[in-house]
Amino acid sequence: MMDLFILGIAEVFQWRILLIILVGVIVGILAGLIPGFTVAMAIVLTLPLTFGMDPVSGVAAMIGVFVGGMSGGLITAALLGIPGTPSSIATTFDAYPMAQNGEPGKALSIGIWASFLSSIISFVLLVSIAPQISRFALMMGPWEMFSLIVVSLTIIASVTGDSIVKGLIAGLFGILIATVGADPISGISRFSFDLQTLRAGIPFLVVLIGMFAISRLLVSLERKEMDKDDAKRAEEKLKDVQFVLRPIQTMLIVLKKPGTLFGSSAIGAIIGAIPGAGGSIANIVAYDQAKKWSKNPEKFGTGCEEGVIASEAGNNSTVGGDLIPTVALGIPGSAVTAVLLSALMVHGITPGPLLIVNEPNVVGGIFFAFLVASFWMLITQFLGMRYFMKVTQVPVQVLVPVILVLCVVGTFVLNNRFTDLYILIVMGFIGYLFTKYDFSLAPAIIGVILGPIAEVNLRRAVMADPEWTLFLTRPISLTFLVLAVLSILFTVWQNYRTNYRLKKNIS
Amino acid sequence: MGEIVIGLALIALGLVIYFQSTDFPALSEVHLDAGSFPQLVAVLLILLSLLLVIKKVFELMRSKSTGEQPSAGERFREFYWEYRLVILTLLVFLVYIFIIQFIGFVVSTIAFIIFTGLLVGSRAKKDILVISIVSVAVTLGTYFFFENVLNVRFPSGIFF
Repeated sequence: MMDLFILGIAEVFQWRILLIILVGVIVGILAGLIPGFTVAMAIVLTLPLTFGMDPVSGVAAMIGVFVGGMSGGLITAALLGIPGTPSSIATTFDAYPMAQNGEPGKALSIGIWASFLSSIISFVLLVSIAPQISRFALMMGPWEMFSLIVVSLTIIASVTGDSIVKGLIAGLFGILIATVGADPISGISRFSFDLQTLRAGIPFLVVLIGMFAISRLLVSLERKEMDKDDAKRAEEKLKDVQFVLRPIQTMLIVLKKPGTLFGSSAIGAIIGAIPGAGGSIANIVAYDQAKKWSKNPEKFGTGCEEGVIASEAGNNSTVGGDLIPTVALGIPGSAVTAVLLSALMVHGITPGPLLIVNEPNVVGGIFFAFLVASFWMLITQFLGMRYFMKVTQVPVQVLVPVILVLCVVGTFVLNNRFTDLYILIVMGFIGYLFTKYDFSLAPAIIGVILGPIAEVNLRRAVMADPEWTLFLTRPISLTFLVLAVLSILFTVWQNYRTNYRLKKNIS
Repeated sequence: MGEIVIGLALIALGLVIYFQSTDFPALSEVHLDAGSFPQLVAVLLILLSLLLVIKKVFELMRSKSTGEQPSAGERFREFYWEYRLVILTLLVFLVYIFIIQFIGFVVSTIAFIIFTGLLVGSRAKKDILVISIVSVAVTLGTYFFFENVLNVRFPSGIFF
């Protein structure tokens, strides 16, 4: 444990890396701010820039973007009532009314402090829980790993999107994408349909860039979205908000509500650790729970301090939670950590339970990059707030082509192949169809990254012992599979219940 | 409607994968060969897609009885109005990807940014100026950054 810390501090506390994290945080905040530009997009596009760096600086840069992005949505949410990212929807409920009541500075600074303090809390949870889980995971054989991946995929499918069938379909589709190319055990080429391009497989990153960046841009080009965007801009021009940030006073306000702060951070960290569930869910759940536990719930929604604290603490603490399964098990909790893992793979580091043992400096680096990023986030938000606000005015006609070009550059840099660009456009279009028909993208992406691991473990398990009932007789494996079935049944039951209530209300 | 098409497409995909997987060479492994895992996934995909298609067909049949559908021409016009920019941008993007290997990164990227910018946004003089400056700055910025800092060779084409 201690050597993890020492190695991490040694890795991160160098001027160059501190600077890289700072740049990452600023990029993240800007991405969180600009409507139509999501954090996942920013991370995906940062990745190619980190190829030339050593693993720790590359990962540090991406963690900076992640932490910054989670707090960037706060600004537009508080001042304009528009969530800059889906992770700040609940923030608009109380921060915006507070700003409307003439206290925009207070709303912003409370939000910043809540984000910062909750990051610290989730950092503590991360460093204390992740090593324990990975120690436990080292005892797992291929049976358990396979079952673990099954349960992660079903949970992702059940928490995202509108129906579990679609979620599972998306996950399976992702797994199939990953089976193209060389078979991971015997190296036989599969599903390449005699195309030279597909012989090496469909690169994971290209799928990511296509599905997350290109499809999102296509959505923003629809007429409906364009009209909505125009309306927003017209509204924004009317507002020229003046505000004073009071860092010290607002810090005391936040610290005076320890119940809300700790409760929401814990909720955020737990939700972040669940595969597939991220900031957007944590933000709302934390807000909702804070309202239920509050002494005066009627104040929520009118601009009360607890509401702002709960929502911002909820979404920022997901970062730490999200990193727990990523570091300890090699199972990404969200698209963002999936990119993080693929960055490690580009550098030849295999994620998994052995990561902490084999690469303690990388893991320590991840931990401390997260801590440093939280401090940078606090400082840049307080100092740079005024300048960040100006950036929300980047028009779509500039944003769309520039990001498309960045996608092309990112894809090309990966392998220096033109044919990857065609895969990129196809994946972008598939991702667009998926979002159009409410298949969520998260299970597909996690399927792409976990599919090969699942296959390797399944085949290793059967090679070691052809008895397939071992999946059901080994206790840990059985627990995971039961959880998988329960997660599906629970979602189906929940859907049935809400439908039933809806019908009842209508009649 | 769209979901049914997607569902059917996925079933077709599942079938292709399933039958492709049967004729991989089997090596010494007795129990699971290269095709087994894809087959398992394909079967699950087919089953779930069938479930989705059946569900949606039922929903469609129930809603068919209510209300008149607008004519095909009308629907097409509406569709085009809503998705015009999506389709056009995709086409321009495809052309950009295609020509990049012939006329090089710098020229084609500048042209692509300006063209898409004008396609999507307004064509006022000021906007044309802004997008032109942005296009040159972004293109040269990424070009020199990647060539010099990260040592990536971009396609040069006939001009540079």
